[in-house]
Amino acid sequence: MDTIVGIINYIVFFAITAGTYGILSLGLNIQWGYTGLFNIGIAGFYAVGAYTAALVSGPPPGAWDGRIFGGFELPFLVGLLAAAVVCGIVALLVGIPTLRLRADYLAIATIGIAETIRLVLKNESWLTNGVWGLQQIPSPLYDPIRAGVTRFLGGHPDLPPWLHDLIFKSYNWFYLLLVLGILFILYLIMQRLVRSPWGRAVKAIREDEDAAAMSGKNTFSFKIQALVLGAMIMGIGGSLYAHYARFISPASFKPLYGTFLVWVMLVLGGSGNNKGAILGSFVVWGIWAGTDFLTGYFPFTATQAASLRIIIIAVLLEVILLWRPQGLLQREKRPPTILKKKA
Amino acid sequence: MSLLTGEGIHSGYGDMEVLHDVSFRIEEKEIISIIGPNGAGKSTLLKTIFGLLKPTKGSVTFKENSITGLAPDRIVRLGMAYVPQVENVFPSLTAQENLEMGAFIRKDDFSDRLEEVYELFPLLKERRRQRVGKMSGGERQMVAMGRALMLDPELLMLDEPSAALAPKLAEMIFERITAINETGVSILIVEQNAKESLKLADRGYVLASGQNRFEDTGENLLANEEIGQLYLGG
Amino acid sequence: MQILSRIPQLLIYGVISGSILSLGGIGVSLTYSILGFANFAHGDFMALGAYIALGLFTLTAGLGIPSTPLGPLSFGFGFILSFILAMGLTALTVVLIDRFLFKRLRHTSSIILMMSSIGVALGLRNVLQFFWGPQPHYYIEKIQLAIVIPGVGVRIKPDQVFIIIAAIVSVGLVHYFLQHTKMGKAMRATADNMALARVTGINTERVILWTWVIGAALAATAGILAGIENKFITPELGWQMLLSIFASVVLGGLGNPYGAILGGMIIGLSEEVSTAFISTGYKPAVAFIIMIIMLLIKPTGLLGKRR
Repeated sequence: MDTIVGIINYIVFFAITAGTYGILSLGLNIQWGYTGLFNIGIAGFYAVGAYTAALVSGPPPGAWDGRIFGGFELPFLVGLLAAAVVCGIVALLVGIPTLRLRADYLAIATIGIAETIRLVLKNESWLTNGVWGLQQIPSPLYDPIRAGVTRFLGGHPDLPPWLHDLIFKSYNWFYLLLVLGILFILYLIMQRLVRSPWGRAVKAIREDEDAAAMSGKNTFSFKIQALVLGAMIMGIGGSLYAHYARFISPASFKPLYGTFLVWVMLVLGGSGNNKGAILGSFVVWGIWAGTDFLTGYFPFTATQAASLRIIIIAVLLEVILLWRPQGLLQREKRPPTILKKKA
Repeated sequence: MSLLTGEGIHSGYGDMEVLHDVSFRIEEKEIISIIGPNGAGKSTLLKTIFGLLKPTKGSVTFKENSITGLAPDRIVRLGMAYVPQVENVFPSLTAQENLEMGAFIRKDDFSDRLEEVYELFPLLKERRRQRVGKMSGGERQMVAMGRALMLDPELLMLDEPSAALAPKLAEMIFERITAINETGVSILIVEQNAKESLKLADRGYVLASGQNRFEDTGENLLANEEIGQLYLGG
Repeated sequence: MQILSRIPQLLIYGVISGSILSLGGIGVSLTYSILGFANFAHGDFMALGAYIALGLFTLTAGLGIPSTPLGPLSFGFGFILSFILAMGLTALTVVLIDRFLFKRLRHTSSIILMMSSIGVALGLRNVLQFFWGPQPHYYIEKIQLAIVIPGVGVRIKPDQVFIIIAAIVSVGLVHYFLQHTKMGKAMRATADNMALARVTGINTERVILWTWVIGAALAATAGILAGIENKFITPELGWQMLLSIFASVVLGGLGNPYGAILGGMIIGLSEEVSTAFISTGYKPAVAFIIMIIMLLIKPTGLLGKRR
């Protein structure tokens, strides 16, 4: 029974992480999948979201803290919204100089902003406590739920140990529901959005920007909106991570690795398909976690195993690009009406 | 045997067919002019001959070899050269470097040929060290034609060489085309400037809506009233 | 006044780091101009070159090839031999990556190629990390004394003089290749207009091959020179410089190799001089901010003309 409980607990942990990645993947999908914007600074937006949430909802600086700012202990939802807003502002600042140019410039600028954000997190102790990071970020409703669980377990001392263990960890069940709930709400919003006139416009830009511009669309403005919207969703993902991990530091947001995983998730799932984005995040996180078990069977050092896992994901990406560029789920086939009218 | 023949060519871009059953022939040392209104498929025809577009039906034969659907870099080796209407020079290269690129596939010493091309376009010799990107439209056209001539082709295809040139420059280009022809090169020219190009052509074809409408000698086409009204502006 | 007195010394460091950035930037610029995509794996080509040189150096030492220091330098013949061979082997590896991957994706879009290059970047870096580990490996353990240039009072090590000379020689060779050889001219022609190059009869596949060979050989050079300057190498060596290299290339004009050289020098100097005023940790951010300012003022860069 113990192993089953262990597996269930692991699955809950797994699903929380995969669900968070699913949110990032949805955010990227609006940028890349629907609008064709190549953002490789996901880790940066994720970090900004996490730090914003931690600073807004977390405790004020403690005794050993280098901070002189932040820790307003505001409710979870306020932190979540703040994370989205701040990420949106950062995206706006990146988008303005780059979105009139070729895609390569946006790519270089986003990786640059992600790296710059990481440097700020590391160096600006007054705001971020430097490499020591932010601690004791509260998880929403943690205390009431734990109190309830303790009370319940105290009243039922004769429960079998496995059930006891399972109930003891029930906060994670709550957090899983929270993550999946937010993921689901975002999914519904995105689905409505991509089918709206706005969604048709950004898809037209993805297919042929010049044609979209000629039919009178302000493509720059639509691209900015898509970039900002995607970044806001990534910020929400970051805030969910901060509240679950309860501790964040610059090391959690190494650029490219996190970004890369999200890209592989979206590309594998099927860019331009919101279901694909979510499916991809669960599949790739499954592969990622699976390789963790797998490399454990070989006499590799921990760093070798870590490298091997990244190599596997990199090979996976190339295999998809070469042999199944459309991903698992294809784009929904709805030709952009703007282009039709033109022809 | 004709130098180049096209028979029953259908061609276009993707699903959009532009040419419907076009046939033509070019004899050695001839100047052939293809005229027709905008969108008649003149450029499409040249691109199809040169392998930039694949015909859906029909065949192209050059010097008794079928070149239907052959890649341009293969066709160039058979002795055919093509000057596109736009973007027909390498702007960041000098005039001389452009000409050298024209001879890229030649492994031997081509300095004699370079001199011959400079004789046709003395201005290029003067400006040989100048970047083509900084040259005028007429000079660029000379560079483009010179580049195409570097391989000593038997057939030179020109897509609207006088487009966007001042009348005086256009006249000079046409005069050069005659001079090139006199060195033994057959020329296939597509023109908006129909009158001028028919004057120097041995024969001409009138293309409209992707089909051959008329074929005759240049003089007869110029004299034809119907063509005059429809395509030569009265 | 304390700060200002440090500036001449920082300028020397700037020239050294600018030399390395320029060499990296030429490759990025060439690939961009011919193949039309920003190659994110270029930094990792640099690291690959540095590690191949390390492996060969160990091998030459094992074979008994002498590596007694040449003159005032801290390394000898064995190292220079490894250096040259590493350039070739890096080029070969990159050409193979092109054949198996980039070539097959060339018909898709520049963004797919860019995405694929990110996969290559992480793959390569982790292959290096798998075999050599994340810890630094030392090229030269010996500590070298700096020479004080009389009058100005700045210090420079013989190895650093070597770096600058090696960069000047490499840039000179690239310039000769581009301006005076048939393949070099064909490369510039292809960068101008690939469709016209094909129509002209230029073998564009050969041009692409040469683009990779030259870019990769220069990447290896940059990686090894960075190793000489730092004394050690890590698998992250190239990635740590990639942002500055991209900034250099954008500053000079994306797709223009001469712009990459100019941009590399400006970025190298700015990064080093900035350390007199702000935290060293912000070096890559300095490059990034210069790039953003350039994009706002003139997106085609200082020397660029293409879109």
